[in-house]
Amino acid sequence: MRTKTLAIAAISLLGLAAPASAGAVTLIGSGSVAAQPVLQALFATYSKQVNKKVHFVYTPNGGNAGVKDVQNGTSQFAGQARTPLPSDAGTTYIKFFLDGLCLDVNPKNPLSNITIQQTHDIYRGLITNWSQVGSSLGTTIDPVGRDTNGGTYNFFLQAVLNNEPPASNVNALTADGLVVNAVKQDPNAIGYAGLAWQKKGLKTLKVNGVPCAAKKISVEPLKYPLSRYIFLVLPGDGSTSPKALLKFIDWARRSKLAGTVISKAGGVPAFNKK
Amino acid sequence: MEEQFPQEYGPKWSDQRVERMLGALVCGVVGLLLALIVTVFVRAWPSFSHNGLAWFGPGGNVDDQLNAIFLSGQNGLEYVYTFHAWPLIWSTLLITGGAVLISLFSALFVAVFIVEFAPEWMSNVLQPVIRFLASVPSVIYGLIGVVVLVPFIGNHLVTEPQKASVAGVISLTGYSLMAAVLVLTVMIAPLMVSIFSDGLRAVKPGWLEGSLALGVNRWRTTWKIGVRSARPAIVAGTVLAVARAIGEAVMLAMISGSVGFAPNPADGLIFVYEPSRPLAPTIVKNIDQLSSPPANATLFAIAAVLLFSAATFSLTGYFARRAMRKYGTA
Repeated sequence: MRTKTLAIAAISLLGLAAPASAGAVTLIGSGSVAAQPVLQALFATYSKQVNKKVHFVYTPNGGNAGVKDVQNGTSQFAGQARTPLPSDAGTTYIKFFLDGLCLDVNPKNPLSNITIQQTHDIYRGLITNWSQVGSSLGTTIDPVGRDTNGGTYNFFLQAVLNNEPPASNVNALTADGLVVNAVKQDPNAIGYAGLAWQKKGLKTLKVNGVPCAAKKISVEPLKYPLSRYIFLVLPGDGSTSPKALLKFIDWARRSKLAGTVISKAGGVPAFNKK
Repeated sequence: MEEQFPQEYGPKWSDQRVERMLGALVCGVVGLLLALIVTVFVRAWPSFSHNGLAWFGPGGNVDDQLNAIFLSGQNGLEYVYTFHAWPLIWSTLLITGGAVLISLFSALFVAVFIVEFAPEWMSNVLQPVIRFLASVPSVIYGLIGVVVLVPFIGNHLVTEPQKASVAGVISLTGYSLMAAVLVLTVMIAPLMVSIFSDGLRAVKPGWLEGSLALGVNRWRTTWKIGVRSARPAIVAGTVLAVARAIGEAVMLAMISGSVGFAPNPADGLIFVYEPSRPLAPTIVKNIDQLSSPPANATLFAIAAVLLFSAATFSLTGYFARRAMRKYGTA
């Protein structure tokens, strides 16, 4: 009697798992949190409208961890928000789409433009009052940033801080959403977050006179100074990856549909047909 | 009748079976616990052996040290282990101590009120509400802290001259000692109230009635007889609350501030507005550095300190309760 119950339970469990394995391909990836909203949107559209047999599992554990997963074979691909480093040996970086890191202040702040140098000085603790960057606010600046877990932090470190660590007065928060929240609530704050986060309640600053807007995001030639590529990382030279994955990458980089998905999810398509 | 059943299907065997299965389960749990402790301490050892007792002392900027430790492992340099955790330990002591102190007094009075003075309908309402509050996940308290308390402190309590006086060193934005202590108090006080009131209710009615019969007033009876005999429960509740407070990571990572800064009481009133980061949130914030061997050892060393202090507290609580057993049951 008991064996029978167990057997039935086991079979019904298998039954639950069956539909996923019927001739389908599951592609496993991990990596960048910053790239996650766009990647998930692309995955969903691809599985629904292009190839119903391909499914994706993506774990947003941070770009650096994702590349490690690709190196040791636990992931078939990784999302990455920074350029390749020597420690990424044995992987191939594919430029996927563009993103811009915007600098934000509270709407109560009259400031509208900031330079990279001023931003550097604020996050290094050299400038501490809004009057020093030409804002009539005249109060102490509350700089807000990401903690070291974020790929966004790495990009900011490279692009703005010349790899010098942020000063101790920078409040390092655990998520992009918390940074945005802090800037919304504090009239004296400045923070940074990707294009996808630029919504009501924030004032997006021009950087070196260039607005942080989708049409100005470009790396070659560099227009908005904090433009960056989001990469997909593949093992080896990329040729050993499953056909289904390479097909998806080609679709995501070139098709018009993928382009609209990317811009809706907050990225900027780099190579897609217009 | 008994001979008709084969020995192994008899009631005796089924009794033994339960006993052995439960025994094996307990052994398994104890084994797992031992394995956990051994793993944590073995992994932590390099950090302790390189720093010695200086691990617990002050010296240098703790965030720079953590960064150097991580980078040395990440870039394949010679491993760096230098780590002086004092700002983190000091922050843990301040936040835990402050919250436990405030909630000890408030919880005691609330428990006394619920058990001895509140009308029945009121304690019938308060009782389940407090039990519910004690089981709310800490991340919810963290959210409320981030959305309500932190901006309130940052925008309304901290003044511009105060901010300017520490500009460039730390930001007084509301992520502060005060926010952390207040939210932690709200988090652990219900736990204490529910254990305290169980203890007060378990006081033998005869003792209280005897005191009342002698003409001692109600407050004095409650304070001198009720609370005194409930002392073991008060110790037990406090120990549990301390353990929860020390281990609290997510909520404190959200609102205590993020710098390894040791708030200095000599700074005056600003002291309570200063940010800091206790031990447990440090593990949360640096969790992605586990891939770097020296950072791994350092984070496990922090875990070992937390584990050790939790164990010390429960042992202290156990002995304190044993010593107080003569005062009553709980």
